[in-house]
Amino acid sequence: MLRKRIIFTLIYENGFFMQSRNFRLQKVGNIDWLEKNYKFQHIAFSLDELIVLNASRENKDISKFANILSQLVNDVFIPIAAGGGIRSTDDAKILFNNGADKIVLNTILSKDAALVQELITTYGSQSIIAAIDYKKIDGKNKVFIEDGKEELAIELEEYIEYVVGLNVGEIYLNCIDKDGTGFGYDFDTIAKISESLNIPLILAGGAGNEKHLIEGLSMNNVNAVATANLFNFIGDGLPKARKRILDERLNIAQWN
Amino acid sequence: MKVLIIDYGMGNIKSIVSSLKYLGIDDISVSNELEKIKSADKLILPGVGSFAKAMNTIRELNIDKYLQDTVLIQKKPILGICLGMQLMGLSSEEDGLTDGLGFVAGKVIKFDSTNLKVPHVGFNQVHFQDTSRLYQGLKNSSDFYFTHSFKMDSDAPINQATCDYGNTFVASYELDNIAGVQFHPELSQTNGLKLLENFIKSF
Repeated sequence: MLRKRIIFTLIYENGFFMQSRNFRLQKVGNIDWLEKNYKFQHIAFSLDELIVLNASRENKDISKFANILSQLVNDVFIPIAAGGGIRSTDDAKILFNNGADKIVLNTILSKDAALVQELITTYGSQSIIAAIDYKKIDGKNKVFIEDGKEELAIELEEYIEYVVGLNVGEIYLNCIDKDGTGFGYDFDTIAKISESLNIPLILAGGAGNEKHLIEGLSMNNVNAVATANLFNFIGDGLPKARKRILDERLNIAQWN
Repeated sequence: MKVLIIDYGMGNIKSIVSSLKYLGIDDISVSNELEKIKSADKLILPGVGSFAKAMNTIRELNIDKYLQDTVLIQKKPILGICLGMQLMGLSSEEDGLTDGLGFVAGKVIKFDSTNLKVPHVGFNQVHFQDTSRLYQGLKNSSDFYFTHSFKMDSDAPINQATCDYGNTFVASYELDNIAGVQFHPELSQTNGLKLLENFIKSF
């Protein structure tokens, strides 16, 4: 039986890992801090996947980011997706060569569909995660690109249809209003859009504790839940959360 | 122990190298040179991406000829991973019909997405036969990480393990010195490390 997944998202900016709240970033620590507080090789055994996003606002130095990525993934035997600022085939290649198994695309989905096609032809749909950021404005879900700075005219449902049409492998759906709040995922929107979606869906934005993860994993047509909350899951927070989720008999993988 | 990962420029091989190191293998190289292929004890054929593109590169670099010699005649052990597993099959319908290396009687076809989310992504259970060497010491129906849109079908006796997604498909095969896994052992936590160790020890 295909299992559902628990994913941790690390937000990176200029050499540091960040806590994000509604896309405002707060510095938490560098890779040494992360290693000290998370012992990543150990924590990885509680995760199904890791996503690392370069949210640097001014200059997304991809080489520097790739260098941190390659340090992070040593002795971590789970799939790693990386992205943030991919604007060329070379950018994608650098990430794949430094330990990414998949790449995460966002802005170019709307701005450079030809590049998206090229990346899919080279690496296959299954290597491409489409990240979609949205925010509620006057009761409508509006899509944002460029780290939440630029609003698109299109609404979420229509945009998802467009993105699926590009033949991407998965959707990483992130609600900016919920991001970093710990109040839970945007369940109403998710329930509406997930039913018709025919590619895997990863929920992001708002998980504050394992109850939210459980609630997300219990939804039909949701394939994975992601959390980027560095504080709520520090220390042995993730192993404990995974154990509770298994105790709830939810359909996640077990390792011998 | 010399393990060679065959390099034809497709996908992330860092995690395969890192898994082999973790298992204590000291001599790991990444190459497509004939001499290196000949002198290795075990071969790994990795790969992510398009079947047709991969076969083109493999033919351009003459890797197909090198492998026919070392794998079919010299019987050197080889493990194909994901696309690498598919490439050793007869053909794939990805990007039009393309011939594979033809070492294993299996054909690669697309998942039927009518009532199924494609790609097939995540950990899924693998059901193997008692005669398997790859899964020694693992519980039957253990979880391994898959991420693919095409799958192999075969009714030939290839000692296959199976996985269910929509229909049953080939999760792995084992024939004499040739093994292939559709999933990614290098991304499958302790289960995957055990499988890689089994390949190194039992092939």
